[in-house]
Amino acid sequence: MTDRTRVAVWRLLILAVLLGLWEGLTHPAVTKSVSRVIYFVDPFFISRPSAIWSRFWHLNSAAVRVPLWQLLLSTLESTLLGFAVGVGSGFVAGLGLGRNAKLAAVLYPYIVAFNSLPRIALVPLVTMIFGFGLAAKVVLAWLIVFFIVFFNTFQGARGVDPDLIHSARFLGASERQIMRTVIVPSALAWTFASLTPSVSFALIGVVIGEFIGGESGGGIGYLIIASLGSLNAADMMVALLVLGITGIVLALGIHQVEARLLRWRPEYQARA
Amino acid sequence: MSFDVLDEEFVALVGPSGCGKSTVLNMIAGLVAPTRGTIRLDGRPLAGVPAQVGYVFQKDTVFPWRTVAQNIELGLAYRGLGRAERARRVREAIRLVGLEGFENVFPATLSGGMRQRVALVRSLVVEPEILLMDEPFGALDTHTKLRLQAQLLALWTGKRQTVVFVTHDLAEAITLADRVIVLTSRPGRIKHVHAVKLPRPRDVIRIRETDEYAREFRALWRVLGEEFAKADQGAGRGEVA
Repeated sequence: MTDRTRVAVWRLLILAVLLGLWEGLTHPAVTKSVSRVIYFVDPFFISRPSAIWSRFWHLNSAAVRVPLWQLLLSTLESTLLGFAVGVGSGFVAGLGLGRNAKLAAVLYPYIVAFNSLPRIALVPLVTMIFGFGLAAKVVLAWLIVFFIVFFNTFQGARGVDPDLIHSARFLGASERQIMRTVIVPSALAWTFASLTPSVSFALIGVVIGEFIGGESGGGIGYLIIASLGSLNAADMMVALLVLGITGIVLALGIHQVEARLLRWRPEYQARA
Repeated sequence: MSFDVLDEEFVALVGPSGCGKSTVLNMIAGLVAPTRGTIRLDGRPLAGVPAQVGYVFQKDTVFPWRTVAQNIELGLAYRGLGRAERARRVREAIRLVGLEGFENVFPATLSGGMRQRVALVRSLVVEPEILLMDEPFGALDTHTKLRLQAQLLALWTGKRQTVVFVTHDLAEAITLADRVIVLTSRPGRIKHVHAVKLPRPRDVIRIRETDEYAREFRALWRVLGEEFAKADQGAGRGEVA
């Protein structure tokens, strides 16, 4: 057995044990009467795998008004839109400010101040301005992603090795060509490195938006809040699991993109 | 400090560290403006980075996000050469420095010596009239250094650029240069200008075994050693030669 399969086997084993314990401990330990059942762990709060499994299929069926996969699509749509807009605007702003020391010196305190503001505190304001729908969720994701990408690109653009710029100049580059062939690629290396955390944070922004947005906003965040309203632990667990898996898939996907774009870096060369 | 460099001449600047060798080179390159005096290129005072100058740094300045071929191609692309012409010149350059098979490799997988070879041909492929080199082989091991010196000499013999080569390695200066300019320790002045009377083409290994080489080395070492001794006594004031 190779090391990799051994790790995989252990992971599956841990999953099986945890699921087994969860299922076992949430079944009645003692049934005194129909109304008095004693549990090791009360499934009211954490539900149990079998119930979650059946709720998962129920929530995906035609029996509910908005099926689970549509909620997921809504969350994904807002996340990816917010991510794309955030990365684009963050990159442009970071590059512009990174190569303009005077402008950066003037604006820097404002940017730091705005960035120190907990993003969640802005949710009511964003809701007030953009309502409960897609726009509000995208704006929230954008607000978080923008700053991550902005600061990374800013560092990258500011930290371009002057000798690389000199080298390009000696090879006959114009200022435009230096920007395109030296500064942008250098800064992009930093930008790309911020993509994986950015997509996770975009998801956070969207879910917060969905907590507030209610039914008109839709999304997995809405399912969580709705299950809180109906005290339905199984539905909440379905939402959390779907969200967790979505987060993993998004992060892994973006990481693949990152590895492809940064394939010239030593850390990605080793694996090539 | 005042000196002339002739067309197609290979001049080496040597001196104790901190004497301003690199600063002089950066002034010629137009990177640093002289506080006093002027630098003339073909009789005209210098303003900014001149177009016909190539520069090889000691530091690795190969662009890590471009493959070997893309790095070498860069100067040609800046000058707006067509794709076919670029590919032809890059292929020729890669053959000249023996980097065949590494065309599509990123610099991260190359050794320091290979990266410096890429930097060298990248500068030469645009056919500069003047080549400035700031301790280009200073960070390499002896074996790699000798191989690169040999390659540089071979390339230079073909095209005959004007070269100003900064080094603290006297042996390297004698092996490569037509003239060696010895600078004093701080404040940097010209201590001595020495014409190297060794025939060309030179073999970087065998030349070291010849009597002529030993004579040149002794003569220059006397001058440079004197300078070191003066510097040690804290009276390192040389005269302008």
